[in-house]
Amino acid sequence: MWCAQCRFAPGESGAPQGMAWCDMTRLFGIETEYGITIDEVDKVDVVEESMQLIRCYQQGAFVPLWDYRLENPRRDERGFEVKNLLNDADEKVHLQQDRKRKIPFKELKSDLIIYNGSRFYNDHTHPEYSTGECTSLFELVAQDKAGERIVDICAQRRTEMLDQGVVRMYKNNTDFEGHSYGCHENYLMDRSVPFERILQGLLLFFPTRQIFCGAGKVGVEREDRAPIYQLSQRAEFFEVIASVDTMHKRPVVNTRDEPHADAAQYRRLHVIVGDANMSEYITALKVGSTALVIDLIEAGCLPDYQLKDPIAAMKNIARDQSYAWLVEVEGPGHRLIPAVEIQDAFLALARREFAGRDRETDWVLSAWEDVIEKLRRDPMDLVGVCDWVTKKWLIDSFCEAEDLAWDNPDDLFWMQSQDLEYSNVDRDAGLYYLLESQGQMVRLVGDDEVAAAMSEPPSGTRAYFRGRSLEKFGDYVSSINWDRIVFKRNGRQHAVDMKLLVDEERVVRYNEVLDRSETLESFLEALDKVERRP
Amino acid sequence: MDKVLQFERRTKPVDPGGPGPGDDGDGGPARPKVERPDTRDLLRRMRRVDPNQARRYRQRTGE
Repeated sequence: MWCAQCRFAPGESGAPQGMAWCDMTRLFGIETEYGITIDEVDKVDVVEESMQLIRCYQQGAFVPLWDYRLENPRRDERGFEVKNLLNDADEKVHLQQDRKRKIPFKELKSDLIIYNGSRFYNDHTHPEYSTGECTSLFELVAQDKAGERIVDICAQRRTEMLDQGVVRMYKNNTDFEGHSYGCHENYLMDRSVPFERILQGLLLFFPTRQIFCGAGKVGVEREDRAPIYQLSQRAEFFEVIASVDTMHKRPVVNTRDEPHADAAQYRRLHVIVGDANMSEYITALKVGSTALVIDLIEAGCLPDYQLKDPIAAMKNIARDQSYAWLVEVEGPGHRLIPAVEIQDAFLALARREFAGRDRETDWVLSAWEDVIEKLRRDPMDLVGVCDWVTKKWLIDSFCEAEDLAWDNPDDLFWMQSQDLEYSNVDRDAGLYYLLESQGQMVRLVGDDEVAAAMSEPPSGTRAYFRGRSLEKFGDYVSSINWDRIVFKRNGRQHAVDMKLLVDEERVVRYNEVLDRSETLESFLEALDKVERRP
Repeated sequence: MDKVLQFERRTKPVDPGGPGPGDDGDGGPARPKVERPDTRDLLRRMRRVDPNQARRYRQRTGE
């Protein structure tokens, strides 16, 4: 088995000394909900259009395979289950209208699993692309970008089907009118870690990490609607410390308990507080630094700070036009410290504990340090690296050239239109992609790697097993989910439980069996032997 | 140097294991050094963006 990054097998001659693997050891993935619109169409039915867009991925008729019985987003990590998830008032009205639609639930969702192990479906109002599980940051970046390409291709196909208008897809998190949609990260972590310690670490880390991983936004869309530039698209939407909800009274720490693994051993940390990033560098740094912070939480090793009000800190940092990013920490007196110091404290601990562990960890440590240094000195040195800085630089240049004023509502709309176009995934139209084509954005993966990731699953994880199973024996798959595949043959069902496929050795054995097997029968027989092997 | 020439540079993917763009040559991981781009092409493109695109862009709350 090969490491996708260094191309060496563990222990092979020439492999990096003392580093068996280049990639990190934790499973992680990214789910992105895309904004959808059609030029020249005043009122787009986003539910219908999201469904149609997903269906443009495939050639033949849609066959619903996703098994919803294994999903329960109402279960809370703290040991209880809520009756209902909360929706905002606006959404409640929409949902009542949706109930009158004649489209069956499974048809509406149009849930697809792609050969690269990802899930591509209509999350009711948005096309959503969820990468397969990765352990390599750089593979994750390729898989995330593959999602953008797939969404873009579907938009082109959908445009060709329409009588008028162009379908445009945006990898952003807001419509500037108070509606927000997510880019969620998932990290598998140790169940035995006390939830209080998880809270302690994340309530310090999440509000402050936006100084490098915010996507940037023109304007404030809630409360005072101030005409300012914010670091983050999502920061102003968070209202509580912890809860299982994701659409209303959003929490800094989401407590959804769906491990998709052995629940006695693992939690899946479902992170809803981040923005969708166009920058490859920031996607890797966001996930990499968060993974290291989870390592620190598991090790019981955290900076000696506590934010007095994490929600206020999040909003204040996003809105701070001075970029001092001062936050109030607990303790005697009124103590304000820069958010950069808190990130620095996390970095120092991560360096002390994990430096030299593997090459991707070292990359994260180095990138984190470099970004912190530049944020401290002059954030604008991160044009081409950080999304919020790059977007701000674009908007400022445009305002100066066109003599636009932040307090003029028409000018503000034009700025917001530029903000939106930064995240347009059409590589011929999007402003991010214009910068990238000019060589101005730092990249971590090549176009060929992104193209490959559109059909190739991440190596060494169960995403490979899921994607390849579907590719080889898809005709026999009767249902599928993140952690289970059911094959049907001659009237008999064979369920393969993938909950245990988070253990590296087991994954290797399963994937080898899959690669070797010519027929479904030999495949299931060999899997059975693997399971019975001591 | 004519600033337009800066646009001739092509994006290069970083080898995650080796020196990257702007690397100081110590064999460590990539340290990005990105010059601030010339704005002429960008501004030309940005002027073509519909000023009302954001005004018309209406979504529903997602998860």
